[in-house]
Amino acid sequence: MAHADEAAIFNKDEAKVDWHDKALWFVRQKRDKSAHNVQGWEELRNLASALKANVLSNLDTYLLQFEENAKKNGVTVHWAANAEEHNKIVHSILVKHGVKRMVKSKSMLTEECHLNPYLEANNIEVIDTDLGERIVQLAKEPPSHIVLPAIHKKKEEVDVLFQEHLGTKPCDGDPQYLTGEARKHLRDKFLKAEAAITGVNFAIADTGGFVVCTNEGNADMGVHLAKVHIACMGMEKLIPQEKHLGVFLRLLGRSATGQPITTYSSHFNKPAPGKEMHIVIVDNGRTEQLSREDFRASLHCIRCGACMNTCPIYRRSGGHSYKSTIPGPIGSILSPGLDLKKHSSLPFASTLCGSCSDVCPVKINIHEQLYKWRQIIVKEVPQPGVKKNILKIAGRVLANSAMYHVAGKSARFMLKYAPRFVIYSKLNAWGKARDLPEVKNGNFDDWYKNRKKNE
Amino acid sequence: MIGIKTEKRMSRESILKAVKKNKPESLPLPEIDLGIFEENINLVETFIGNLNFVGGRAIQLNNITEMDAEIKKLYPNASKIVSCVKESALGTISIDKETDPHSLEDIDLAIIKGELAVAENGAIWVTDQDFTIRALPFITNDLVLVVSTNDMYLHMHHVYEAIAKRDRTFGVFISGPSKTADIEQCLVVGAHGAMSLTVFIV
Amino acid sequence: MLKFVTDLKNFKSDFLIYIKMKVGLFIPCYINQLYPQVGIATLELLEKLGVEVIYPTGQTCCGQPLGNSGYEDDSKGICQLFVENFKEFDYIVGPSGSCVYHVKKHFDILEQTEDVKRVRKNTYELCQFIHDVLGKTDLGASFPHKVGLHKSCHGLRGLRLGSCSERMDPHYSTEEDLLKNVKGLQLQTLNRVDECCGFGGTFSVFEEAISTKMGKDRIQDHIDSDVEVITGADHSCLMHMEGLINRNKQPLKVMHIAEILNSSI
Repeated sequence: MAHADEAAIFNKDEAKVDWHDKALWFVRQKRDKSAHNVQGWEELRNLASALKANVLSNLDTYLLQFEENAKKNGVTVHWAANAEEHNKIVHSILVKHGVKRMVKSKSMLTEECHLNPYLEANNIEVIDTDLGERIVQLAKEPPSHIVLPAIHKKKEEVDVLFQEHLGTKPCDGDPQYLTGEARKHLRDKFLKAEAAITGVNFAIADTGGFVVCTNEGNADMGVHLAKVHIACMGMEKLIPQEKHLGVFLRLLGRSATGQPITTYSSHFNKPAPGKEMHIVIVDNGRTEQLSREDFRASLHCIRCGACMNTCPIYRRSGGHSYKSTIPGPIGSILSPGLDLKKHSSLPFASTLCGSCSDVCPVKINIHEQLYKWRQIIVKEVPQPGVKKNILKIAGRVLANSAMYHVAGKSARFMLKYAPRFVIYSKLNAWGKARDLPEVKNGNFDDWYKNRKKNE
Repeated sequence: MIGIKTEKRMSRESILKAVKKNKPESLPLPEIDLGIFEENINLVETFIGNLNFVGGRAIQLNNITEMDAEIKKLYPNASKIVSCVKESALGTISIDKETDPHSLEDIDLAIIKGELAVAENGAIWVTDQDFTIRALPFITNDLVLVVSTNDMYLHMHHVYEAIAKRDRTFGVFISGPSKTADIEQCLVVGAHGAMSLTVFIV
Repeated sequence: MLKFVTDLKNFKSDFLIYIKMKVGLFIPCYINQLYPQVGIATLELLEKLGVEVIYPTGQTCCGQPLGNSGYEDDSKGICQLFVENFKEFDYIVGPSGSCVYHVKKHFDILEQTEDVKRVRKNTYELCQFIHDVLGKTDLGASFPHKVGLHKSCHGLRGLRLGSCSERMDPHYSTEEDLLKNVKGLQLQTLNRVDECCGFGGTFSVFEEAISTKMGKDRIQDHIDSDVEVITGADHSCLMHMEGLINRNKQPLKVMHIAEILNSSI
C-alpha cells in the first residue's frame, strides 16, 4: 500500500493523530532548546557535514585503517556484502560459542538485515533490551521511529502488553511501574545471555575503536556480562579521528532528544580479558548509494531521528505508514535506493517544506533529494495514468501562451458554472475537505488589458 | 569452513573495490576552529546545572575526607558496596580482575573516581582502569562518582584533547542516572543501569 | 545594477523613480486565473513605490507543479518560455515565494545560457524585492486588524526570507519587517511559528488526508492566537487554508500580504 493510503487509515483516529503529533513536537521543542544552548551550533553542523563528506570521499582508506587498528586491539573484523551475509556471520559466531541466548541493544542495521527472525529460525533467543524495542518486539511490530521505537504506542497499550507477556498487574499505564517491571524482566535476560549484539554509532579509523550511545545502559549491561560482543555497523559509520567525536557527540544527543549527551557514551577499543569482540562491517546497498552523486549525502546520517520529529507528515502519519526500516524523511531518501519500486511512494510523502534539512545535524539536503527521487521514480516506476497524462498535457499547454489562455478561461468557466455535485465529486480529492476558490469575473490578464485600454 | 573463509575474503575485496570505484573525488578534512566554541562561563556551576538537568545530583566538598559521611547520609541502607576510591573506606566487597561480573548483580552502591567532568553536558569520563570490572558502573543499583574541580572541562573538544593519550581499552561518559522515556515520552529514571547518580566535586 | 541600487538605499526613496530599472511582473498562473486581486495589489503596490512595472502578457507558469510531481523534464518548455518572457528585465518580481524559488533553484534543468542565468539571478519574491532591493519597510499602509503571518516553507527555507525555527541563527523576517510598519496592524504570535500548512502542490490531492489535517492544524493555531486575518507571501498555501476555512465556516479571512501592504484607510 502506498504511503497516502496508510496515512489515510492512520488519520481516521484524529485524536490519536493529535496525540502523536504533540508527542513528537515536544521532542522537537526539547531539541530546539538544547541546540540554543550551544554556542556555534550552525558551525558544528557545518563541521559534521564536512567531516562526513571527507569520510565518504576516502571511505576505502578509512575502512582499511579502521580494520588494521581494530585487529591490533584484538578485535575480529568481518565484512558483509549484504543482509544475508551479515546474518550468516553473526550466526556463525554464535554457533562457534554455542550461544542459545542473546541480548541485543538498539541497532537499526540489524533491523534492516532482519537478523532477529533469522536467528530465531536457528533456535537462538534474541531479546531486544532497549525498552521501546522490547515493547515492539513483544507486540510483534517493527519500530516506528529510530530513536523512540514505541512512540506510536499509548501507555495503556503497553500496560496490556506487559500483563500478557510479563505477568504485570494492571496499572492504568503507569510508566514508572511498567519501566520497573521491564527492568526486572530484562535484568534476568542480561544475566543469562551468552552473547550481546550492539550497533555502532561511530567507528574511529585512527584508533580502531567504536562508540555506542544509550540512555538506558542496556548496551553496556549486555556487553559486559556476556562472553561475546558482536558490534554490527553500516560502513558509513566511520569517522576519521577520535577528536571528531567531540563534534558528533555534541550534536547527536541534542538532536535526538534534547539531552546535552546520551546518558552513556561507551568507547570500546579492546575486549575485556578472556572475552571476544567482533565487528561486522556491512555494505547492503551502501556502496551503490555512494555511487549516486545526488543521493550520496544520505550516507551522512547519524540516526538521530530529528527529521522524523520535525516532519509534519511523519508526525501525522506515524512511522509504520512508511513501510520501511527507517521511516520519515531520511528513510524516504534511503529506501528508494534499496528498492525503488517498493518505496516509490515515499519521496512523494512530503510537501518539500525543508524542515528536515534544516534540523539535520549533518546537513543532509533531504528535501532536495526527495525532489530528485521524484524525477527518477516517474520515469522508472509505472505511474497512475491520470496523474501522468494530466501533468504531461499541462507541460504542453503551459509551454504555449495561446493554449494556456484558452485552458485558463475554460477551467475558470467550469469552476464557476458547473453544478456543485460535479465539482465536488469523488474524483476531486481537493474538494473532500476543502472548498475550491471562488472564481472572479475575470483573470489578471483581462484586468491588465482593460487597464491598458483605458490608459 | 574453507568455503566460508574464501567468501569472507571475497566480500571484503569486492566492497573495497566498489567503494574505490564509487566514491567521489577526495574532499578535505576540515580543521576544527575551537575559538568558535569558547565561552567564558563558570565551569563548576555549568556542570552542576547540567548534571541536575540530566537527573544527577552534585555535592561540593571542601575535602574528600568528608565524603564517606555524606554517602552514609544519602544511602543509609546500602550494605553491598564496592569502593574503587582509596579515600573511601565504605567498601564491603572487594573486586579484582578475576571477579565474575554476574556476581555483582546485587551490589547496592559503587564508588568510582571520575577522570574528568564536562561542563556542557554534565558527563563524567571513567575508564575500566578506574573500576576494574566493566559491568560495575552499570550493574550497581546506585552510583557515586568523585571528580576534582581541577578536572573540569568546558566542552567535548577540550575533553578529547585531554584524553588523547591513554591506554585505550574501555571508557565511558556517564551523564546522569540510567533513564528512559520510551513509554509515551514520560521520563523514568532507572532503566537498566544505575538508578541514581551522585557526583562529589572535590 | 544590484550593487548600484543598494548603494542608493541611503538616498531619499523617491530618487528611485529616476533609476530606470526595468521590472517585469511575474504573476503565477493560479494567481492570474483565480486570484486576480492579488496580482492587482502587487502591481499597484510596486507602482506606488515608484517602480515602473511591465507585465509580459505571454507568460504562463514557472513549471513548479510539474517539477514537484517528478515531471521536470516535461516542464522544460514552460521554463524556457518563462525565460523568453522575462529575459529583458533587470528584475522579475512575483507575489509567490514558491514559484520564485522554483525559478531560482530548479531552472538548472535548462542549458545555462546568459539569459537563463540572468533570469534566475534577478527573480525576486515581492517582499524580498521591496525589503532588500528597494530597501523599504514602511510602505504607508494601514490595516487595523489582528494578523497572523503564515511563513510559507519555500519562501522561508528556500529563499530564506527569514530565519527558521530549526536553525540557531539570529532572528529576522522580511515579511514581519514590512507588516510591523503597517498602521494599526497587530501581528499575533503563533505557537508553531513556521510549520508547513500541508499544501505542497500535488501533495494536496495525492496525500489528501495528511494535507487537510495539516491545514486544519495550522488554521487552529491562528484561531488559538486570536488571529482575524491570515496572511503570507505565497497564495497557494493561503488557497489551501481558505478552502478549509470556507468549508468549515471558520471566522477567519485570508489575504495575500500584497493586499495588506497595498491597503489604506
